[in-house]
Amino acid sequence: MPLTFIDIERQKNWRIALFFVILMVLYLLIVVLFCAALPGPLIMVPQFWTFLITAAFLAAGIHFWFSAANAVDTVVRSLDARPPDKDDEIHRMFVNIIEELHVVSGNKRNIRCAVIPSLSLNALAAADLKGNAVIAITEGLLSRLTRPQVEAVVAHEANHILSGDCLETTVAASIFGAFSSAMEKVRYSSSNRLFGSPAFLLAWVLLQLGYLLNMFISREREYRADAASVRMTRNPLALAETLHFLSRGWRGAGFIGSGFEMLCIVDPVATTLDETEGFIPDLLSTHPPIRKRIDILLRMARVSIAELDSKAEKRSGDKLADSPPNYFAMNPAQKWQGPFTAGELGTLPWLSPLTWVATGSGQNAERAWKDPLINEIFLRRLAGDPRIDSGLICPSCRQPLLSAAYEGTRIFQCSFCAGTLVENGKIPRIIARTGRDRPCTERLNALARSVLRQNQTRNVYRKVSAGNPNPVPLFPCPRCKNPMYRGFYSSAHLIEVDRCGSCGITWFDQDELEMLQCLIENRLLPDIAVAV
Amino acid sequence: MVGLILLGILVLAILWLVVIYNGLIARRNDVQGSWKQIDVQLNRRHDLIPNLVATVKGAMEFEQDTLDKVISARAKAVGATGPQSKAEAENMLTQALGKLFAVMENYPDLKSNQNVLQLQEELTSTENRIAFARQLYNDLVANYRTALQVFPNNIVSSLFSFKTEEYFEAPVETKAVPAVNLSIRK
Repeated sequence: MPLTFIDIERQKNWRIALFFVILMVLYLLIVVLFCAALPGPLIMVPQFWTFLITAAFLAAGIHFWFSAANAVDTVVRSLDARPPDKDDEIHRMFVNIIEELHVVSGNKRNIRCAVIPSLSLNALAAADLKGNAVIAITEGLLSRLTRPQVEAVVAHEANHILSGDCLETTVAASIFGAFSSAMEKVRYSSSNRLFGSPAFLLAWVLLQLGYLLNMFISREREYRADAASVRMTRNPLALAETLHFLSRGWRGAGFIGSGFEMLCIVDPVATTLDETEGFIPDLLSTHPPIRKRIDILLRMARVSIAELDSKAEKRSGDKLADSPPNYFAMNPAQKWQGPFTAGELGTLPWLSPLTWVATGSGQNAERAWKDPLINEIFLRRLAGDPRIDSGLICPSCRQPLLSAAYEGTRIFQCSFCAGTLVENGKIPRIIARTGRDRPCTERLNALARSVLRQNQTRNVYRKVSAGNPNPVPLFPCPRCKNPMYRGFYSSAHLIEVDRCGSCGITWFDQDELEMLQCLIENRLLPDIAVAV
Repeated sequence: MVGLILLGILVLAILWLVVIYNGLIARRNDVQGSWKQIDVQLNRRHDLIPNLVATVKGAMEFEQDTLDKVISARAKAVGATGPQSKAEAENMLTQALGKLFAVMENYPDLKSNQNVLQLQEELTSTENRIAFARQLYNDLVANYRTALQVFPNNIVSSLFSFKTEEYFEAPVETKAVPAVNLSIRK
């Protein structure tokens, strides 16, 4: 009997009932612990025990209903997810893909969609007892994937919802996740004296029990959802590419609160437990190793990485005989294109100094600006432009900066990466003139808010862990060539900038200057309670 | 006594007949409902094509042949009836559209035109919806056919002359199996 998407839908009611029983036992334990201090005779009275059990049952029931019935709304609210913007090209594509999903599932479930305003790369699905379901993708992931890749992600998440395992995970996350996020807040905001208190100990015990819950959340369901996604989209490569991409990026650790991680397509916090196999990891981890997932998908596509390499070699080998060196370049959709001659490379509209380019056999990929021959292309594109009078070089693309007008003053701009270089003395002037030439658009405000929130948690993290574990290479100063210092604009305005201490200039990446302006204009300040 | 037992068996047999009959009817309605869904999506596609042609016509005057093919394929698809002929006409249209999109790649003006991009996204989405509706339809047809043919349903289905439903065949060129290399190196 072939399985349709309709047949797959099965309710896993007994598991959800199990959660309820666990919750009740927890409450019973709490009540018993507090009553242990009571005088002895009372414990012997049977009615007292009946009363205790009823109380625990009621408390568990109320807790269960309040957290499980509206779980989707809770998830959406706590991640600040918004419905997609109808006027936005990429959001409209997302809405279309969700519509397509309703077609393939025979309109069986009404699935909402939402966009999480975060630059992290992740996607999640949630469903609750009232029958609501939502698929949410972060702005970062949505903007960086091609259409087939978004289709694959949506199909994966949709299968979680249609097969019913999403309901189970959402209920678990919303019942027990509340404890763990409360714990995290306590850990950040309290001083040490709280650690000894009985309430804290109790919460700690509950948190450990919550981790045990992961045992109920099987790793298998991710494999199943991957397989179903391929069944729907017939495109295993797109999903493999996405997973590969996700494994390299920031998946939202610190932003997507713990407790929600089991709803996500990849675990926001990359742990060694997730990446290993065996009995214990299978039992305790909620996500299978990404490598293995990619392997399975590549096998479905009958592609192996070695095979791809040999094909690329053969293709370049045919033409290499007596022609100039061939280049392969990675296009904005993260796909290798080629082979090109240097001349053809020059006509590609998307080629920028930061594009990854590989020569000949495709062995060593480098940024385009590092190859002197390709660099010539960029120099030629700028040649004859009267605005090059600065003599300054973009620290990220290594191309000449152009001087430009901005809020009535002069700044230096890179025409490739859209970063800006501002002399420190001009920054207050620019901030004061915010909104004169260019208003704070909704996009910039949302971006600024999410960057602020992300940097806030990172700032806290840095203070706690004292020291950045993996620094990104520092930029050289465009003037004096010494490494620039990277930090926040100020402790109240958490926008990351690069500064040169001796020349008194500041480098802003794309949109960062505008975000800083909007932050100050709209008084978007970090939450003091968390930041301190 | 024997009469009572016989009566009981008869009642059970009739009940059993009703259950199977109703099950078959439900499945047949599912199939027909999902066929309507394909129809909806096909109409959506037919409505979008004139817009697309009108938008790209100015920029693509040298490709009149390609445009004509799309227009005539659309006209044929609109007129077709029944799964078999509809599938054929739609496959022709898919091919003509694929050709048009390939040719459009050569016109940088078109690729940066907001209207064209929007129409292209709508058409891509529609193509997907058609494929997905077809997937659902074929799944349901397979279920229905199995239900018709298994014992004892086949007795009921032949008794009430249930007809089998046709599959919506996939376009020919997508059927070409990708070259499979079984010697995958690890």
